[in-house]
Amino acid sequence: MAGAEGFVEADNAEAIIIRIEHKSRKIESLLKQGKPIEALKTALEGAPPKTQDERCKSANWIVVHRALMAIKDVDFMFSSLDPEYYDILMKGLSTGDRPTCDQCLRIHEKLTEKAGLGCILRCLADTVNTV
Amino acid sequence: MSNTLRLYLACIRNTLDAALCLQNFPCQEVERHNKPEVELKTSPELLLNPILICRNEAEKCLIETSINSLRISLKVKQADELENILTKKFLRFLSMRAEAFQVLRRKPVQGYDISFLITNYHCEEMQKHKLIDFIVQFMEDIDKEISELKMSVNTRGRLVATEFLKQFV
Repeated sequence: MAGAEGFVEADNAEAIIIRIEHKSRKIESLLKQGKPIEALKTALEGAPPKTQDERCKSANWIVVHRALMAIKDVDFMFSSLDPEYYDILMKGLSTGDRPTCDQCLRIHEKLTEKAGLGCILRCLADTVNTV
Repeated sequence: MSNTLRLYLACIRNTLDAALCLQNFPCQEVERHNKPEVELKTSPELLLNPILICRNEAEKCLIETSINSLRISLKVKQADELENILTKKFLRFLSMRAEAFQVLRRKPVQGYDISFLITNYHCEEMQKHKLIDFIVQFMEDIDKEISELKMSVNTRGRLVATEFLKQFV
């Protein structure tokens, strides 16, 4: 039983990585058109919530990171982003070796102001949906 | 204070604010024992996800929480060999006197320079926001201290060398 689940997971991982690659191409084109906020929304939308595979998570985060770097006006970004994406964004920023630039830290600070400490706590406590 | 440092410390302060929610929890395995769960990591249901906040490749902060304790590990920026030695000696000096600090851990976690362990007892005796202020202030002061030490070592070296070489002039 565990073997079958493992097999399904591997299959899923490949499918997810292919999906992420499609997404990154779409995001590149959106960025070239000068629409970084749409790019970020696209990146966050398809985030695979329940995958265990490290590669999927890091591949997804690289894509989100690209979109984040392109955004200049952070406040405007938050006003146009839906609240359900705050959690995904915060989780991505917090876990792993990821915030290695001050744009990320700035986004973290603004996100905490907007979403509150509850968002950080959900990153700490949530074991079901891990970005 | 540079902007990145301010952002980094703000990020750590907010995360600590959220993560410092500790309560008393006696050990599940052994009767009448009360252990900091973050150190033992025996029961996964008592542990929360660790959070890693990086300022850059050299400086980072790992915050691990559990139901009754929280561990913060810091890696301090070390630009060259001299700073490396000074940081190691200085932080070892502080860690040896961990009793006086109460929240300091005697040995840093593998891969980091210094670690703090805050338990629910500390939160009961001391105020939570003051503990967080202490940690953030510590991080600010560490950088200043190391630069001061480095400057004094260099100054002293220069003076000694000048004096010594005067006899050959």
